[in-house]
Amino acid sequence: MESVDRMPMVEEPEPSGPPVREIGLGQWMRENLFNTWYNTVLTIVFGVIMAWALFASLRFVFVNGRWEVVRRNLTLLLVERFPRDQLWRPWAALFILTITVALFLGASAAARRGDPVRERPPLTPVEIVRRMWPLGVLAAALLLLSSGILPIVLVVALFAAALGARLAGERLPGWLTRARFLLLVVGGVATFEVVIAFGGQGWERWGGLMLLLFLAVGAIALSFPLGVLLALGRRSRLPAFRLVSTVYIELIRGVPLITLLFMGAFMLGFFFPVGFPRPSLVVRALIALILFTAAYVAEVVRGGLQSIPYAQIEAAQALGLSPTKVTRLVVLPQALRAVIPALVGQFISLWKDVALVSIIGLSEVLSIAQRITQQTDFRAQGLQAEVLAFAGFVYWVGAYWMSRESQRLEKRLGVGER
Amino acid sequence: MSEEVEPREAAASRDGGAMIECRGVEKWFGKFAALRGIDLDVDLQEVVVIVGPSGSGKSTFIRCINRLEKHDRGRIAVDGIEVTDDIRHIQEIRREVGMVFQSFNLFPHLTVMDNVSLGPRQVRRWSKDKAEGVAMELLERVHIPEQAHKYPGQLSGGQQQRAAIARALAMQPRVMLFDEPTSALDPEMIKEVLDVMKELALSGMTMIVVSHEIGFAKEVADRVAMFDQGKLVEEGTPDRFFSDPQHERTKLFLSQIL
Repeated sequence: MESVDRMPMVEEPEPSGPPVREIGLGQWMRENLFNTWYNTVLTIVFGVIMAWALFASLRFVFVNGRWEVVRRNLTLLLVERFPRDQLWRPWAALFILTITVALFLGASAAARRGDPVRERPPLTPVEIVRRMWPLGVLAAALLLLSSGILPIVLVVALFAAALGARLAGERLPGWLTRARFLLLVVGGVATFEVVIAFGGQGWERWGGLMLLLFLAVGAIALSFPLGVLLALGRRSRLPAFRLVSTVYIELIRGVPLITLLFMGAFMLGFFFPVGFPRPSLVVRALIALILFTAAYVAEVVRGGLQSIPYAQIEAAQALGLSPTKVTRLVVLPQALRAVIPALVGQFISLWKDVALVSIIGLSEVLSIAQRITQQTDFRAQGLQAEVLAFAGFVYWVGAYWMSRESQRLEKRLGVGER
Repeated sequence: MSEEVEPREAAASRDGGAMIECRGVEKWFGKFAALRGIDLDVDLQEVVVIVGPSGSGKSTFIRCINRLEKHDRGRIAVDGIEVTDDIRHIQEIRREVGMVFQSFNLFPHLTVMDNVSLGPRQVRRWSKDKAEGVAMELLERVHIPEQAHKYPGQLSGGQQQRAAIARALAMQPRVMLFDEPTSALDPEMIKEVLDVMKELALSGMTMIVVSHEIGFAKEVADRVAMFDQGKLVEEGTPDRFFSDPQHERTKLFLSQIL
């Protein structure tokens, strides 16, 4: 019998990747939608329902919807009673904010350049559209409801400024690239100041989408660090921290947000010493939103902290890292990454909870939308559907955009995850 | 080594005594005695391999040396510094003692390079350039320089363990503790890790290794110690330990693993 190595050599075909199966649309539909009689029935029934829903929605939006009520009140919905001769201020703020963020993102991309791990492929137009289309749809809807050429010019200029600043950000001088976080802070302050300073309007007089954005961004930015501190406090070895954090979390979580908003409106003033200027209603609402969300963020983050194996802490300790550094450099980064979906869920929740501030007399988009149906020109015409659709759309764009960005973040940070 | 890094003096420990001194070390988990009076000295540049059945207290013992476990009685001193509740002593000892774990325990959110340079940068306060330079040299020494910019999850088990060794070495420790470093590895990866450990031993590192790799013990160890039920039942040179074990428990154990 021939030994194995004498066997005639058979030419092994080079493997050319996994087999590729290409099927047409018709083939795919036959295999997935009409493969059995009951699947065919389901496909037809749901196809008809979906087609009808789509048709009805489109007919409402483009044919039957009486958008005059939104059209006439668009400025009110966006900035409420902001003096009409000072509308350049919110516009300027929008431009400053957009340019700052775009410059920052460009500078960050430049800082990552050449780094073997963190460098990302250059931004393509397709990528920009994929990430920004919900905001684009919002801008388009607002423009369709606006009148005159000026808003169109300004929005186009805004998008152009965003793109230009993003590209310019990559070409900033080195020292400015390193100081990009400072740039972000300066830009953020300027965004506020251009609205407030030199005879502008303080946030206690803001309303509409502008107030919604202010409350949501402010509450997200401040409830996150507070929540992280509370989560760490609840797991602290010091009983005092643990007690305070636990009592806080359990107390706040046990109370409806509406209660907190009312307490913010009517009771928070008692906690300020006599003679101390009482914060405005907007600030008190913001405090209530921050306190409320922080408790939930704390529990979400605590879940993340618990998911980190103790061996990670031991490995960091064995290197000689101090307890603070073990937490800051090893535990927290992993814990936060693990809870991104839940955390963003919490922030989306907060974004929509801002609608509740109307209960204490603040006017964000939803409450203004309700109010405008009572105007003399529009009273008793059954315009609830139109204004609710508009307010819902504004909230949906924000929530959906956050959700998409969080998925992107998850995917990016998941690289190399065990 | 780059020029800024002073090579360690190959002399006796600071107080002239043994590098690691253990006297009557006891450790209790509730009512269970994990260590029941361990006496063991390890001299500078000595390599001690600890063997013994699972649950015999080997891991607990070496974890007491850098205070991942708190011993309840007895005295442990590293390089003349006693292991006490004093956090400064503990930090000082942890800077001098590197540890390698059975399950690697690399930080999954950091690249291999960042894993290795984290300790020097944060604890020894080296500059980024200096720490990364040293880290790269160490990765070359453990033969995985090409993995520097990958995440631990992208590496094989053997590569991860070698990265973990580099991470411990980056702190320029005077002692290295190995807690069953090859037990979680596939057979074909054990050798690459043991080779790195052999090179390390030959370079004069003081090492305590909890391991059942008899070949490694015979070739590299200066002494082999047998743990059983929280006691050090027998120790000796590898030649004597493996060819002529004195204690019944050692004979039984060796007959089971050889």
